[in-house]
Amino acid sequence: MIKTVTTVAAVLAASGVQAAELGAADKPIRLAINEWTGQHISTHVAGEMLKAAGYQVEYVTAGYMNMYQAMSDGELHAAVEIWSSNVSDDYAKKVEGGGVVELGDLGLDAKEGIAYPAHVAALCPGLPAWEALKDCAGTFATAETLPAGRLVDYPADWGTPGADRMTGLDLPFKAVPAGSEGALIAELRASTERESPLLITFWQPHWAMSAYDVQFVDLPVGNEECFNDPAWGPNPNAVNDCDFAPSRIFKAGWVGIEDMWPAAFEILANYTLSVEDQQPMMGAVDVDGGSVEEVVADWMAGNEAKWKPVVDAATR
Amino acid sequence: MTASRELPATSMPGLSRGKLAALLTLVTGAACLLLQDFAPWIVRFPEAWTLPATELVGAGLDAVLSAIKPVMRAWSWLLSYPMSWANAVLVGSPWPLIIGAFTAAGWYIGGFRMASLTFLGFGFVLLSGYWSESMNTLSLVSVSVPLAVLAGGSLGILANEVPRIRAALLATLDAMQTIPTFAYLTPLLLLFGFGPVVGLVASAIYAAPPMARNVILGLERVDPEVKEASIMSGAHRWQQLFLVEIPAASQQIMVGVNQCLMASLSMVIIAAVIGGFNDIGWEVLLTMRKAQFGQAFLAGLVIVIFAIVIDRLSGSLALERKRHDRRVTWGLLLSGAVGAVLLALAGADTAPDGVFSAAAAAVDDGLGAFTATHGATLDGIKNSAMFYGLLPLRIGLDQAVLPFTWGFQWTPAMSLWLFAIAALVGLGLAATGRQMAGAGLLIAVGVVETGIAELPWPFVIVGTTALAWVAQGTRLAVLSAALLGLVLISGLWDRALLSLYLSGAAVFACVVAGGALGLLSAVSAIAWMIIRPVCDMLQTIPLFVFLIPTLMFFQIGEFSAFLAICAYAVVPMIRYTRHGLVSTPPEMLEAAVSSGATPWQTMTDVRMPYAAPAILLGLNQTILYAFAMLVIAALIGTTGLGQSIYLALGQADVGLGVSAGAAMAILAFIADRLAQGFAEERRKALGL
Repeated sequence: MIKTVTTVAAVLAASGVQAAELGAADKPIRLAINEWTGQHISTHVAGEMLKAAGYQVEYVTAGYMNMYQAMSDGELHAAVEIWSSNVSDDYAKKVEGGGVVELGDLGLDAKEGIAYPAHVAALCPGLPAWEALKDCAGTFATAETLPAGRLVDYPADWGTPGADRMTGLDLPFKAVPAGSEGALIAELRASTERESPLLITFWQPHWAMSAYDVQFVDLPVGNEECFNDPAWGPNPNAVNDCDFAPSRIFKAGWVGIEDMWPAAFEILANYTLSVEDQQPMMGAVDVDGGSVEEVVADWMAGNEAKWKPVVDAATR
Repeated sequence: MTASRELPATSMPGLSRGKLAALLTLVTGAACLLLQDFAPWIVRFPEAWTLPATELVGAGLDAVLSAIKPVMRAWSWLLSYPMSWANAVLVGSPWPLIIGAFTAAGWYIGGFRMASLTFLGFGFVLLSGYWSESMNTLSLVSVSVPLAVLAGGSLGILANEVPRIRAALLATLDAMQTIPTFAYLTPLLLLFGFGPVVGLVASAIYAAPPMARNVILGLERVDPEVKEASIMSGAHRWQQLFLVEIPAASQQIMVGVNQCLMASLSMVIIAAVIGGFNDIGWEVLLTMRKAQFGQAFLAGLVIVIFAIVIDRLSGSLALERKRHDRRVTWGLLLSGAVGAVLLALAGADTAPDGVFSAAAAAVDDGLGAFTATHGATLDGIKNSAMFYGLLPLRIGLDQAVLPFTWGFQWTPAMSLWLFAIAALVGLGLAATGRQMAGAGLLIAVGVVETGIAELPWPFVIVGTTALAWVAQGTRLAVLSAALLGLVLISGLWDRALLSLYLSGAAVFACVVAGGALGLLSAVSAIAWMIIRPVCDMLQTIPLFVFLIPTLMFFQIGEFSAFLAICAYAVVPMIRYTRHGLVSTPPEMLEAAVSSGATPWQTMTDVRMPYAAPAILLGLNQTILYAFAMLVIAALIGTTGLGQSIYLALGQADVGLGVSAGAAMAILAFIADRLAQGFAEERRKALGL
């Protein structure tokens, strides 16, 4: 069955027709639902597109860090929002092992940086310029970090970009790893409620950016020279004396999708979603309390021009 | 650690052995202090000397895993059947029928009280808006608990029947409870595939040990006369066991079933981390990630409600022989069915939306407001605890005492003075015949001056080995030295000391607070009425839920982690202390009363000694829980072994994960055996 489908797809491709066969449309495609709202939205949009093409879709909850074994076994078929800044090494292993393939960029423009809730600007005059932090370290100091200031960094398993910046820019701050995303948010919340000082490594798109009015510190532009050449940038003796490396958000799936559902493969590979589209939907879910299904359905109805062409190109 | 150090001071049969051990430790400590400036390798074990143990373990495991993968996948396939049946029944049935059926069961088992408890509990679940998620969870538990009870029960009986393998089996149980699931999550996923079955297996591994332990303890304590009677009546071994001994031990075994249940429910969250299953744990994870305390608490409460209902039902089932009117049972069941039909006819057969979301939001806002108003007080509490307690314990007085913490700078001269005074007092103690106390004092002062995380490794290994030798003899001493040596050369030493410091501080606090609360619960029924549901809640609610308020009050750091560990590890101490104290046989109490003992004398001279074995089991569980919690504490942002496990998970590094997990189990194992050994000495000294 699968073989014939492949041949048909191959024939179609050879004859110059872009569209692909549906393949095993009676078998549900299982999309991974990870732990955060933005991902739920990206996944539901992809899922609705697949449904519009005539597929059955199952949304399956899966741990973001440990889903690649299941994907490589073909028990999970695709995940559409994987952050290069925080991806399990298992992903690379499974790609190498041939069970998982990348399906291209999602097109979300991510930004990571050193950030603070807006009220902190009053506690450390001169922000958002990074130089201001040189003189305010004492304001951010706590029992564990005295006399240095405290920077709440990503959980250790996401890497230590915040600590690298502090060393690179020679700022008197000690990076404390957060342990989990919940811990980062709890810090933001407590700081906002108490109007206490807080410096934190954070990223967007994220619902907390607007909920807690989070601002980024202006750092020197991050480029290749900065990461490799100590002489570059404000600190002549260190690398990383600049902004974060831009992170990529991409899609990946089980290696067998292309054979089993050729058109679905096309759709998933060509699917993109922009921050301008995702962020309002996140707000509608996390801040206004809407359900992901309804919010996505509304968006799909109002923005056919943005997704319909991808489905049509794959199935027509 | 310090607690057990002081114990030998009071009564030691082998005084010379104790003195020798103390002297050896002292000499090693002094030598390390003197030499550390000349030989830095004494303080920090050089990295060049470590073996690539994590890589070796990883490679070895990979080979084993791929070899047994097909067998395990078959198991996984088998287990998925009961799982999907339970799921189909619980999720597929309309909610009035489920509530009716459970209420009917409640009536049949425990009459009006149980029926109303069950009805209210399930009613709450329904109104919380998490009905289908809850039924997914319940189907997981309904398969994992029997599995764990069966596995734990068989292990317990095995240990009872074959005394030769008992020590090894007990160590295995410790390992099952202390190696965190996250440490072997990657291999588990590889072996069992994806989805609820992995959660099922993980939860059975974690929940079986308390069952096994209680079976062992229960069978051990069966009256010898009862055993003899069954032998004399000609019963063969299996008949003795199943017809006489197990029924006689049923009360202790029920404690095991209860603990097994609680442990199973507390693992629901791990099943959610793996995914593949839209259960209540997943809701907790999502809300936790948004730091929504109210909502996370609501979802967590559903798990607690299940725990309480199932626990009380199973308790009544075991204790009460009387069964209640069947007509009412059928009536309740029927009304559930009628309700289901009516709802279906009305077209409203899906569970209603939650009605508590406003309350959850209010709790959440309350938390925010509390943090805002009491920020300064909370900071004060945290800073005092850090400056005067945790920091000196971790990095020592020589580094923790600074102008902005204690108001002055610690100088080497002060260290000299401190040691001089300690030596004088120690000598004074030794001169008055308390040599052990003197040596213990000096060692304790040395530890506080240096800090647990900065202790030179030769001192830790020699000291622990000496302690083990005093506590249980040569075998434990050799074993401890070998195991610690393994941790040392695997390159995980620094992290292990950090973990040791954090859980050691927590265990100490738990023993003091938990013992006191257990005693209070034993003497006052009202206190137990209040404490019991709190214990149930702390043990079953996913502790992730409490990480949010802890973090908001005290921020990321060791104090928050310390509190989180205490919250979980204090429960067994309370429970077992109370259970031990109230289960004194009535004839012993009568004898005490008739011989004119005051209530206080009865408590200290009769009930406490009788309770000692149960309290010891509580200590064992507290130590194991404290180490098990390290991995949750790492979500707050502690360093140490817990963090290594998450790092390993992120890097899919099987070797690092399992090695760090094993190091954790090694620490817990040694700490537990030392404490048990000294407690055993006490027991013998008391003539028990």
